[in-house]
Amino acid sequence: MASRASALERPAFRSIGRSLLLTLPIALWSLLMFTPTFRNGSRALSIGAVAVILFMTGLFFLMMRTGETYRWRRIFFVALGFLFPIGFIASLIAERGTMSIPISRMVSGDTPYCFMVTPALILPAAFARTIVFPGSILPTASNPHSIAVMIGLWFAFTLVLGKAWCSYACFFGGIEEGFAAFSKRRRLHRFVTRYGSILRLIPWAILLCVVLLSAALFEPVYCMWLCPFKTVTEFPAVRNVETALQFGVFVTLFVGLVVVLPLLTKKRTQCGFFCPFGAFQSLFNKINLFDIRFDREKCVDCTLCQTSCPTVALSKESIHEGKTLLNCMKCGACVDACKKDAAVWHLKGTPVAVKPERARLLFLYGAWALATMFGGSILANSVATMVHWLPLK
Amino acid sequence: MAALSLAASASEALVLGLTTGPVCMASCGPVVLPWMLVQPKGMWSHSRQLFLFLAARLAGYMVFAAAAWLVGAAIPREWSGRSWAYGGIDLLLALALLVYAAGWPRSRRASSEPSLSLVEIGAAPRPRPSGALALGFLTGINLCPPFLVAGVRAAQLAHLSGALFFFLCFFAGTAIWFLPFLSLGFLKRTPAVVTVARMVAVLLACWYGFSGVSLLIERTLHG
Repeated sequence: MASRASALERPAFRSIGRSLLLTLPIALWSLLMFTPTFRNGSRALSIGAVAVILFMTGLFFLMMRTGETYRWRRIFFVALGFLFPIGFIASLIAERGTMSIPISRMVSGDTPYCFMVTPALILPAAFARTIVFPGSILPTASNPHSIAVMIGLWFAFTLVLGKAWCSYACFFGGIEEGFAAFSKRRRLHRFVTRYGSILRLIPWAILLCVVLLSAALFEPVYCMWLCPFKTVTEFPAVRNVETALQFGVFVTLFVGLVVVLPLLTKKRTQCGFFCPFGAFQSLFNKINLFDIRFDREKCVDCTLCQTSCPTVALSKESIHEGKTLLNCMKCGACVDACKKDAAVWHLKGTPVAVKPERARLLFLYGAWALATMFGGSILANSVATMVHWLPLK
Repeated sequence: MAALSLAASASEALVLGLTTGPVCMASCGPVVLPWMLVQPKGMWSHSRQLFLFLAARLAGYMVFAAAAWLVGAAIPREWSGRSWAYGGIDLLLALALLVYAAGWPRSRRASSEPSLSLVEIGAAPRPRPSGALALGFLTGINLCPPFLVAGVRAAQLAHLSGALFFFLCFFAGTAIWFLPFLSLGFLKRTPAVVTVARMVAVLLACWYGFSGVSLLIERTLHG
């Protein structure tokens, strides 16, 4: 990632006029996304929508103007990560009076669907025609975030963007990226570099375990036992030793993987070394349209890109081969960090390092459209919640 | 008349096995999959390991069928030691998975590549029949729901031979569902695949261990 100083020293990548012109589609897309909110939403929600339109359009303009991706994307992503729990928890408290999920809500299928459980649904759905999640398949009045809607959205964007979902849409990843950004020193760097090849296999092992156990037990094992983000969203009510143990696991994983380790390593440790959904998402990096490639003629093997990668998705061998590993989230950190312009955005099927900015633009339009639609609505909701809290009349 | 009764029993057991087979597969999958993933690539080695696994599973079935018939239908329903059996089998499965997870990497070096730790940890194993046999037998006596249904039915039969025959047919019905595991033979074996399989075995051992211990504690506390 480029430092603030180098970013300021760097001459403007594009003129203001041209940057504005390139930002226009995103501005129009944002307006389109929030039109129903302006028509039907409350005053607080409209304020939230205006704030989000300005925020998202402004960040995209800065991406166009400076030519940097990671820095501006991170601002959005961290805001999403930290604001999502505010809106979500507030809505839970307002509706139920508690963050815990009552059994009655699970039985009636009113639990909002979380995309993290998607891989665990496949085997039980295929062999037993059973969805092992207490949500409704089609949208209902009380639960618009149904399984079909969420999986449809996720699948459409994943086909185009691959694992970029984890850097532009996941409302959990921003929390640890925020903690990673707080830290100034990069500790445990040698450990992460040395054992990176083993550490990045752990999510695959957890994915296999979760899929197999969910099929064997007919329950979403990840949600019941392993999700660190239950700590900042909703969790089964603590009523006995088992649920107390579950809650203990959630909190331990959250503190360890989302707070402490990102602070120490400046890496997204939960995403890189734990998240089974991330591993599942990596599979789609094989078939999506975009990737990051390395121009071997320009590369001087300085490993700045490898150091800057927040999820250890680069190794010396992969850089030597001119590509990233399968778990690349397309956050753009390596491209921005490279001082020789050897790391480039790439549209599959086209020559490497030929018009990489065109590939970046095409990718960013898709990714930012997703970010605005998915994350933007979450941000607007959270801003509206905070507006409600303001002592204004 | 006897032949007709035998045919009726066989068809009933076969259909029961076929219909409940996916549940059996899901129940045994966590044990079979990591084991198969560490076998060398190729249909022959996978067929051999799966055959050994299923044979041992059949032996487990037969032991259970004999026990069910001798003690009667009370075993699955009201037998007070059921939790002990569940917990004990879970702990044995955990132990077996840990033993074989620890043993897998030491068996053989997968390649001559000098890439240090990953190759060491993820080396392909020498096929060991004892692993498939132990894991197969333990899953064979694991009391999964379809197995209990078959146990109740077998206990109602007049002769021990009838109960064993019933379980043999039930086994044949469920075994068909294990054939998709042979497709893992086509998967390319890299050190990473073997390492992941080993990690999976350790994580599942933790799960079975936790499940077994909590069952035994529950049994001790609540009787």
